[in-house]
Amino acid sequence: MTYSDKIQELLQSSDVALFMKGTPDAIMCGNSERALGALRRAGAPITAVDVLVDAEIREDLSAISGWPTIPQVFVKGELVGGADIVEELERSGELEATLLSKLGDQYWEQRGEKTVAL
Amino acid sequence: MREKIQELLEGAFPQAEAVKVIDRTGGGDHFEVIVHDAAFNDLSRIEQHKLIYAALDEPWKQGNIHELRINTKGTA
Repeated sequence: MTYSDKIQELLQSSDVALFMKGTPDAIMCGNSERALGALRRAGAPITAVDVLVDAEIREDLSAISGWPTIPQVFVKGELVGGADIVEELERSGELEATLLSKLGDQYWEQRGEKTVAL
Repeated sequence: MREKIQELLEGAFPQAEAVKVIDRTGGGDHFEVIVHDAAFNDLSRIEQHKLIYAALDEPWKQGNIHELRINTKGTA
């Protein structure tokens, strides 16, 4: 299976996917930290992928999403944005509203984070 | 690089109400760009930011931008 297939599969199966530099326990970039922080505060059930494991992950991801930078946040397979947008959505209350509408009004019961390898 | 980015954005958004480029660290590779343009009025945030990335494709591909913060706004 190519990374592209694995990314697609992960996007289908994850409520909130965060492609980041490093992992939630060992964050390697300030912008990944910003996106992770906003998702944590919103109580999102986060599935994290470390793109630094292989440069091809990042290339295949950007080809799929049309988004050139890391981090990238997806809710139910749909690109929500990078760090700037996710923080902006948090400030305006839209992040929580998006999670509520896409994941249901009990979504925070699933809050937490796990890291998966592709 | 700051001047180059300013120039590219002004070229891509000639009708913009505001185009501002901030060198966040003084090191010439971490930037924040602020663009207010009516072209953004009916676009999602994702689409707005994609237009900025497209305008800065050249320095981006050359690796001259290490970090880019984007602040876009319509004029409505």
